Amino acid sequence: MAPTPIIIDCDPGIDDAIALLAAFVSPELEILGITPVCGNQPIERTVANALKICELGGRSDIPVYRGCFRPIFREPIHGQFHGRDGLGGAALADPVKRVEQRSAVDFLVDTLGDAAATGRRVTLCCLAPLTNIAVALRMQPGIAAGVERIVMMGGAYREAGNRSLTSEFNMLADPHAASIVFSSGIEIVALGLDATHRVILKPEQVVEFGRVSGRISRALVELMAFWDRNDVRRYGSRGGPLHDPLVIAYLLAPQLFGSSRAHVFVECESELCMGQTVADWYGKSGLEPNVEIVTSVDTAGVVDLLLKRLSRYGEQVPA
Amino acid sequence: MTAPGVIIDTDPGVDDAVAILVALASPEIDLLGVSAVAGNVPLKAAIANAAGIVGLSGRSDVPVRAGAAAPLARDQVFGKYAAIGSFGEDIVGRQTVSPDPENAVHFLVRQALAAAEEGGSLTVCAIGPMTNIALALIQEPAVQRGIGRIVAMGGAFSVPGHRTPWAEFNFFADPHAAEAVFRSGIPVTLMPLDVTCQALFTVEHIDRFRAVGGRPGAAIADLMTRFDRSDVARYGRPGGPIHDAMTIAWLVDPSMFSGRAAAVGVEVAGLTKGQAHADFLGRGDRAASVTLIDRVDEARFLDFIVGRMARYGDGDLRLPAGA
Repeated sequence: MAPTPIIIDCDPGIDDAIALLAAFVSPELEILGITPVCGNQPIERTVANALKICELGGRSDIPVYRGCFRPIFREPIHGQFHGRDGLGGAALADPVKRVEQRSAVDFLVDTLGDAAATGRRVTLCCLAPLTNIAVALRMQPGIAAGVERIVMMGGAYREAGNRSLTSEFNMLADPHAASIVFSSGIEIVALGLDATHRVILKPEQVVEFGRVSGRISRALVELMAFWDRNDVRRYGSRGGPLHDPLVIAYLLAPQLFGSSRAHVFVECESELCMGQTVADWYGKSGLEPNVEIVTSVDTAGVVDLLLKRLSRYGEQVPA
Repeated sequence: MTAPGVIIDTDPGVDDAVAILVALASPEIDLLGVSAVAGNVPLKAAIANAAGIVGLSGRSDVPVRAGAAAPLARDQVFGKYAAIGSFGEDIVGRQTVSPDPENAVHFLVRQALAAAEEGGSLTVCAIGPMTNIALALIQEPAVQRGIGRIVAMGGAFSVPGHRTPWAEFNFFADPHAAEAVFRSGIPVTLMPLDVTCQALFTVEHIDRFRAVGGRPGAAIADLMTRFDRSDVARYGRPGGPIHDAMTIAWLVDPSMFSGRAAAVGVEVAGLTKGQAHADFLGRGDRAASVTLIDRVDEARFLDFIVGRMARYGDGDLRLPAGA
């Protein structure tokens, strides 16, 4: 089967880094480009981290395009669990690889415009605040026809928020962008906290990932060990939720996930509930469902899938 | 010193049409392009009208580009005269200018980055909702450095709004974009309704446009007759304003105007969304980056607009060097 063309929009970020590393060794996915944006870290750092992760994974061939440096309207906020450099202090060399000249927004507009024309539509893997996608859609609404679907990490539907009482980080960081994307008519699969809190990466699993992952082992263990929230009361065990890698897992093995369709609204006015994703589970709004919300996960299956993928770095000849 | 290049960002619109025509007849203004945005009319009509007006002026060297079709965040509203739609061929003649395929936001980013690189600055004349400008500012920090000044029509401070009791249309149509621009700290010269309604064009002026302004003058006379803006109950005397044209007049001859420094903000939510507020006393955190124009010499302004439009009639359309 022909590989699925994807663009990874991200803000690395530790869990973004793990997601990228899993995608790099998945021949089912043809990564057309990586578009880091302001999010977990300021733009300079998410770009640098994306370049570093490409080199770590031996995929310097994938172009990286610099995204928007701030959200559409709100002041930038950044993640709290990624360390000062955004990669938990993992010892990675400064990148030799350079960012492309063309901006992420231009790359999205051009690529999705071409995809709309040729019919070879592109899947957007969104692991970050949705600023790049929203700006591109506002500039050229016609590019929506070039998107096969969006598979995103974002939102908290029945689950409480993680950055505020009601809101998941990616939605809170740019709620206006999220609102633009959710109302674009593009088919969306949302892996929110309802899904990602089902997959907590435990310390003993980190050891296992380290054992199988060959030449990236040291960096991968550093990333994963830093991710441990050490908050048993909240997550039921040691470890941290594997938010962004679930997007890649969903693309590779959708049968490991269960979902329900609903119309989703994003709160953009209330300071208390800013960025809340409100799902119309029971058709109260009279609007057609626009999002496939992932509600259940085969946890063991997902961990096993990621373990098998990342073990490919153990089999590969170093690039 | 060369004059900084100007981009007109517009949603034509009758008074936008006058602003564009006056700019095109003013060699003091190095017009880099006309960018359309959804506002008074949907984007499709805005781009057709911008192209129609530029074609009518004979300045087909000035590129016209399409930008955003919808506001950043709020539900879309169009102008009171949205029924105008596209100006008919009976008014602007057959379309001779085709829009440049480059997106207007992309163009603005590109021009601003080039200006920032060269240590120069760009002037944006914003006479529609500020969506295109806000979309450009998000993309690169240097975009802001490259925009030296925005000359905008928008807001109502000590007079009532005209779209709601609180809000002027351009701010009401995209309050988030306007607020983002003011929050950025870019120097803005702002023409609110407080000043644009001080200068009223009467039927005598409309007759003058028709008599001395060639085909463009006749087109404006037709539009102003068909969409009469006079409102004696509001203005206390006959005649109607041409809001947007004040931005161009200020670029050519600011001595017609006076104003004062203020920090300006725009409400983005609730009943009063689109309402502008001004802080003249430095009470808030925001810097006084706006020159809020509050007075115009009406006679000089009316003469200026009629005089510039007359250049289309007397064949004295002196083009800027290089055009």
